[in-house]
Amino acid sequence: MTQLESLNKSHHRNVKIDLASAKSLCADQRMMPVVLSEFLKLSIQYPILLTKDEETGQFVAVALCGFEDSDNLFWQDGQWNAVYTPLNVRRHPFFVGANEHKKNEQDHDYIICINMTGPGVYKNNLQKDSLQENSLQENSGQALFDDGGQETSFLKEMQSVLGSLIDGEIQTQKFINALLELKLVTPVSLDITFTNQQKIRAEGLYSIDEDKLKSLDTAQIAQLHKSDYLGPIYTMIASLGQIYALIQKKNAQLKSPSKWFQKAEN
Amino acid sequence: MYDAIQSSQEQQISPAIRSIVIVGGGAAGWITAGLLAAKHHSAEDGGIQVTLIESPDIKIIGVGEGTWPTMRSTLQKMGISETEFMRSCDATFKQGAKFAKWVDGSTEDFYYHPLMLPQGFQKMDLAPYWHNYADRISFSEAVCFQEHICEQGRAPKLITTSEYDSVANYAYHLNAGKFAEFLQKHCTTKLGVRHILDNVTDISSAENGDIAAVMTEYNGSVAGDLFIDCTGFASLLLGRHYNVPFLDKSDILFIDTALAVQVPYDSEEDAIASHTISTAQSAGWIWDIGLSSRRGIGHVYSSRHTSEDQAQQDLRAYIGGTDKDLSIRKIPIKSGHRQTFWKNNCVAVGLSAGFLEPLEASALVLIELSATMISDQLPARRDVMDIVAKRFNETTLYRWDRIIDFLKLHYILSKRTDHQFWNDNRDPETIPESLKELMNLWKYRAPGDMDFTSNNEVFPAASYQYVLYGMGFKSDFSLSQQNLTKQQQADDLFGRNMQAVQRAMASLPLHRDLINKVHKHGFQAI
Repeated sequence: MTQLESLNKSHHRNVKIDLASAKSLCADQRMMPVVLSEFLKLSIQYPILLTKDEETGQFVAVALCGFEDSDNLFWQDGQWNAVYTPLNVRRHPFFVGANEHKKNEQDHDYIICINMTGPGVYKNNLQKDSLQENSLQENSGQALFDDGGQETSFLKEMQSVLGSLIDGEIQTQKFINALLELKLVTPVSLDITFTNQQKIRAEGLYSIDEDKLKSLDTAQIAQLHKSDYLGPIYTMIASLGQIYALIQKKNAQLKSPSKWFQKAEN
Repeated sequence: MYDAIQSSQEQQISPAIRSIVIVGGGAAGWITAGLLAAKHHSAEDGGIQVTLIESPDIKIIGVGEGTWPTMRSTLQKMGISETEFMRSCDATFKQGAKFAKWVDGSTEDFYYHPLMLPQGFQKMDLAPYWHNYADRISFSEAVCFQEHICEQGRAPKLITTSEYDSVANYAYHLNAGKFAEFLQKHCTTKLGVRHILDNVTDISSAENGDIAAVMTEYNGSVAGDLFIDCTGFASLLLGRHYNVPFLDKSDILFIDTALAVQVPYDSEEDAIASHTISTAQSAGWIWDIGLSSRRGIGHVYSSRHTSEDQAQQDLRAYIGGTDKDLSIRKIPIKSGHRQTFWKNNCVAVGLSAGFLEPLEASALVLIELSATMISDQLPARRDVMDIVAKRFNETTLYRWDRIIDFLKLHYILSKRTDHQFWNDNRDPETIPESLKELMNLWKYRAPGDMDFTSNNEVFPAASYQYVLYGMGFKSDFSLSQQNLTKQQQADDLFGRNMQAVQRAMASLPLHRDLINKVHKHGFQAI
């Protein structure tokens, strides 16, 4: 059972995190939710698209990481293998929860939570003996608090990642709403044949309607410019080229037998 | 000299149709106003002016709560968001009709008339091949996946499906009163329709017999080039002013009274049916329509065959829980239509043109079809109006006749003998010749597109198949056995239908859940 706890110095003083294995929750995510502030960095490796949330039908921005369900081509050899790692991958095992105890205006709307039963999370000295297989080597893993009870630089970095995600989700939603208002969103359908002749049709993806973009009048363009949306719009368009890189990744994966079999042969 | 020629030419030019006046503001009035105003740019300079005069004193009938899939394109043409429409009008999805107790009145007796064509209908006709399996599976279950969805209370689409797009074809159930209000707001704020709340007191005629203007109590005379009569059963312009005769069809369709009632759900989690349920009674039938906020239920019956007391009792028995405080509204129904629908510069749309019992939800669709035809063929000048009127009358008369045939079909296929109502319905004297001919042809073959060749058909051959074979009619295919050479393809299509059922069951949400999501999140426009 997943055990979600709001982060708390006294409770989590001895918790250590194995970063790579904490991220393994993303290993089967074909699409990774992303925020506006990371579009440019993402575009060097990921196609940035829009898709509809299955529960709400609302648009969300995502980095495409694979073509089939539970296929993530950036998860290789037990780690996230990319030049830039999306914030929503980096944040694990932390996530943002709504602050249900908010009483005053000054109180934060959000609180930082930790998934204590997720992979890569260890309660060091308590579980060392009883759960040896799961426990970390002494001195390895990232601590959240130092010996003096102060937040470590690792935790501070995670706090800033989560902060960027909270702000980013609001900004990204505004950006998407602006695109929808100007009818700039259009479905993209991908018909791909991999080298092994496997055919796949990726549906439910949306991108920028370039013809519609060209037909906007100067006032509308000026408005987009003023909101600082022109950059992300063109970044999204340019990032579509990364679909080819992703297909190459998939083809390479299909060609080389998995590590499992390589080991078996040795 | 030059001036003289021009002015004499000007005199000869027939007046342009620039201003349309609609009298009456129910669903008919506002659908017509919306379609006209959207197509003819009433909100812009140079567009055709559309004015709707609505009496503040007359309440709309407002029990037409079932639509056809055509309503999706009608709303789209008016530039309406599906999400807004559904939220404002308590609308739900309708995937056809379930007819219960129509054949023999037993509890197992039901069949579906879904909104999707049989599998592969454009390529081949599955009906004769289904006959070999008829004892094992119903026609609609074998050829279409929609009955399965409906029986499970599932919706025809997902929250991620765009507005007006579908996984399974669908229409709507809606609150007619709220629908008229919603359209009024859209027409007046977005489409440039001028709205006058006033009573029409008189009509002033032009020399050629056209209506020049209608007089109102407080807004003086309202002139127009074309007048559309949407005044409901009153038929103020076409019926009362022009005295166009009413053709009574109660010798074919006996239903003449409706008892309508609104029934709340027991809880907010109650399942919502995704189809209209029509349950036959001893001298009529009961409709049951699930909106998001309540059910609309009504008993339509023949007062020549049963009493109001009995009809009320049947209605209460259907609803159950007799302690419920039901406010039952009685609505007299006059089955029939006007002899012509467009006379001079006046055309009737909606109840003013006619009405038939709501068995196949033909009221709103006829409004849409009529309004679309007026809008698409709107005469540019008065001199060509009579030609358009002639076409409109021919087409509309054809449509009424086809609907009458199709409604009557449900009654003549019944094997019920529990009441004289059903025996009388099967009396050959009461069956139109056109329907008798078709029934004779179908003794030896299935209904096909060759039976319905007009551009103005209302019900396709597939609808006749669903009702015919749903009600246990047997066509004798023995003399065409030599032509049934595609058993393999047929079996493939039956198999494909079963796969479609599996896929639909796995992916489609419960109707109630989707309606909740529409209210909470809404569909995307794309």
